Amino acid sequence: MIRRAAKRIANIRFDYPFYTLEEFMDDHDYIVDVDHLWIRFNLASQKVDNLKEYAIKMLKHELMFQEFFALQDVSLKVEKGEAWGLIGTNGSGKSTLLKTISGILKPYKGTITKHGSIAPLIELGAGFDGNLTARENIFLNGMVLGHSRKFMEEHFEEIVDFANIRKFLDSPIKNFSSGMKARLGFAVATVVNPDILVVDEVLEVGDYNFRRRCNERMRQMLAGGTTLLFVSHNIQTVKNLCDHAIWLDKGVMRMSGESGPVCDAYLAEQEATAHANKEKKRKKMREEGKQYDYLVVGAGLFGAVFAHEMAQAGKRCLVIDKRNHIGGNIYTEDVDGIQVHRYGAHIFHTSDKEVWDYVNKLTEFNNYINSPVAVHKDELYNLPFNMNTFSQLWGIRRPQEVKEKIASQIADLHITEPKNLEEQALSLVGPDVYEKLIRGYTEKQWGRDCKELPAFIIKRLPLRFTYDNNYFNDRYQGIPIGGYTQMVEKLLEDVDVMTDTDFFEYRKEHADQFKKVVYTGMIDEYFDYQFGHLQYRTVRFDTERIEEENYQGNAVVNYTEREVPYTRVIEHKHFAPEEEHKNPKDYTIISREYSEEWGPGSEPYYPVNDEKNGALYAKYQELAEKEPNVIFGGRLGQYRYYDMDKVIRAALDASEKELG
Amino acid sequence: MNLLKYRVRTFFRYKDLIGALVSRDLKLKYRRSFLGYVWSVLNPLMIMIVLTLVFSNLFQKSIENFPVYLFTGRILYDFMKASTTNALKSVTVNAPLLKKVYMPKYIFTVSKVTSCMVDMVLSMGALIIVMIFTRAPFYPEFLLCPIVIVQVYLFCCGLGFFLAQLHVFFRDIEYIYSAVLTAWLYLTPIMYPLDVLPGYLQTLVKYANPLYYYVEQFRALIYYGRFPGVRVFVGGWLIAFAMLAFGIWCFQRSKDKFILYI
Repeated sequence: MIRRAAKRIANIRFDYPFYTLEEFMDDHDYIVDVDHLWIRFNLASQKVDNLKEYAIKMLKHELMFQEFFALQDVSLKVEKGEAWGLIGTNGSGKSTLLKTISGILKPYKGTITKHGSIAPLIELGAGFDGNLTARENIFLNGMVLGHSRKFMEEHFEEIVDFANIRKFLDSPIKNFSSGMKARLGFAVATVVNPDILVVDEVLEVGDYNFRRRCNERMRQMLAGGTTLLFVSHNIQTVKNLCDHAIWLDKGVMRMSGESGPVCDAYLAEQEATAHANKEKKRKKMREEGKQYDYLVVGAGLFGAVFAHEMAQAGKRCLVIDKRNHIGGNIYTEDVDGIQVHRYGAHIFHTSDKEVWDYVNKLTEFNNYINSPVAVHKDELYNLPFNMNTFSQLWGIRRPQEVKEKIASQIADLHITEPKNLEEQALSLVGPDVYEKLIRGYTEKQWGRDCKELPAFIIKRLPLRFTYDNNYFNDRYQGIPIGGYTQMVEKLLEDVDVMTDTDFFEYRKEHADQFKKVVYTGMIDEYFDYQFGHLQYRTVRFDTERIEEENYQGNAVVNYTEREVPYTRVIEHKHFAPEEEHKNPKDYTIISREYSEEWGPGSEPYYPVNDEKNGALYAKYQELAEKEPNVIFGGRLGQYRYYDMDKVIRAALDASEKELG
Repeated sequence: MNLLKYRVRTFFRYKDLIGALVSRDLKLKYRRSFLGYVWSVLNPLMIMIVLTLVFSNLFQKSIENFPVYLFTGRILYDFMKASTTNALKSVTVNAPLLKKVYMPKYIFTVSKVTSCMVDMVLSMGALIIVMIFTRAPFYPEFLLCPIVIVQVYLFCCGLGFFLAQLHVFFRDIEYIYSAVLTAWLYLTPIMYPLDVLPGYLQTLVKYANPLYYYVEQFRALIYYGRFPGVRVFVGGWLIAFAMLAFGIWCFQRSKDKFILYI
């Protein structure tokens, strides 16, 4: 009897998360101690909530049969000041563990001991009443979290300031946007510096700015000695924010310890599962002989936009790519938290409002503006050629002086009809700009002397007589936050995709499974090079991680001397200043670019728009027009230089034409 | 002992929340209406007029000043009905919140009963208006009626706890209880004098109907202007505490399982 009573009291204690530290701090080291915890649920299908059912179930002896353990024998010991990430797939028990630690769920077996106050951020604004005003809700919500009225009065101003809702204090909260509600909820929940902060994915909602501020606040708390328990699907965030991690899988603890190894092991398994699923899907598709309206060859921007539009219109598309990833040349990959442009720097810029709106609907863009600089020997110049450049060259300040200077330099040369690129460039900008900023760079690019290059390569060299370093003249400019790959993923959301698949191989076996082909590969390869190879310029990237916080201070630095072997150096982190601001890193990743002569087998980058190649392409184009049920598109399919916005426009036009 | 200390401390920690929930209920009840709180008085007054018109002729001889007689019973019954039906759903309605934040679950039940009590105290205004209008005498015993209200409050809390926890597991109780309420209304001498009932029913009501104890006390104080009889007075307190203890016991026993069913 006494033992039973003692046991009950021991159990009941866990109801009260608010005991004071002194009272329970005996000789414990752990602030949260989860010991062999089991949590049992009755499956929802077995939910008996009316009498008739209850009677029937009782007669059949079926009551409480179906049980399900959301957590099985999980142990977790957290010391004060640690930050723990809880990772795992959906339904692995992460949230259940958090809820049990918060006191919402009771252990079925095992114990939980906690020391100190808990602020649960399991759902922001839980307990908001839509009919009450924001002011009333702040108080109500604060009290739901266990604060007194007096406490809330003292911190009222602070909350209103953080949530930034002063103007709307007296309107009912049902009229608030979800972002505003989330802000208010976060502000109320974090008004105290709790001993333990429990966060469950709530911060994935809300806009970028809000997430940044939340992360900041959480960092502040961590610095102040708060213990953090954090659930997120974003492994990168866990890695950045947490020093420890626990990996749950279907209620069972798979691994726990330092966050690095745990996250890596988790990611490795995720990848393996994804790969296995992909294989399965491919196999199934092969066996089923699924029919497609379009086979899109190449998962680059043209193919992805086209497939997206077609899928939206209800057509069935299969996108294949011979590379092991989607995105084509705009592919960006996450290397230690930095988005690396693997196939060269891509900066999105356009004046086409429709295209800009189109991409912004897919993903959020930052406000990156490309202002490269050029290094020549020990001197540094701004690009494009503008008043900054000229004043660095000649030490003069006024546009009129610059114009006169250039005009007199050109006049001295007496070139009437430029015979090669050198003379062409000289006649446009004069010897100073040419020698320091054009010559070496162009020669490296083409691997030939400027005197041997035809004049038409440079038709005009824009000179700007303002102090404006923005490289592009377009109205809209930026880079997707989180990289291009996820933008392409978004485009291909509802489309079947197979990577590592070569079109010519695929066609041999599955020619009957698609009605039409959209071909974005090299047009000459499609026709088996029957008239010979088209030529390309190609670029080699030499990517390197450097243990330095900031290598060159700019995303793009051109090296204009011929003696330096590379043409430019890209420092990838500067394309995403917002990410760096949020998660500063003490290392960086750079890519040196080398121009190379193209030969069969190397990556084709830029078409060579000279007469010879132009004529060759015309012949292929003639064949292409006769080819039934094949659309040629994109940079390689149409053998022309395309900016990203132009490709999107072309793909939209092509899909519109197809849909009629 | 320690446990009790915790209970009390937790309760005090959340007392402001109870206050806030009560004031929310009251605020929202009449927020968009033109007359606002006046309805707390006006509404029972209007019902009373209707009932008086219908029933007063029926019992004209046996009951003098029928409106006051009716009102003193009705006001308690309405409080009991409103508070327990609200309390019944108090846990299930707040399920989304209980799944997200830890807090003692009885808070919601207590706050519902409390807000109904505040509403009832407001409708006492209507009673006073009726008494003035019908020239009923005011006795000094009137001032003692909080004693009865506290008893009913405790009784309703207990019954509310019991119903709230039951509703989590068996939603049917909602409909069963509404039938019980109707029967209860007619088995309590509210609209009629007790002696119109046949003998055996009279005994049943006198001993087994808790509401009878409270209505009797209430009427004694207000209508008859005397101190209630010992039997109903002591019995009323006993029933109130017994119900409260039973409700708390049921609630405590099953509260940890709520989360699995809501």
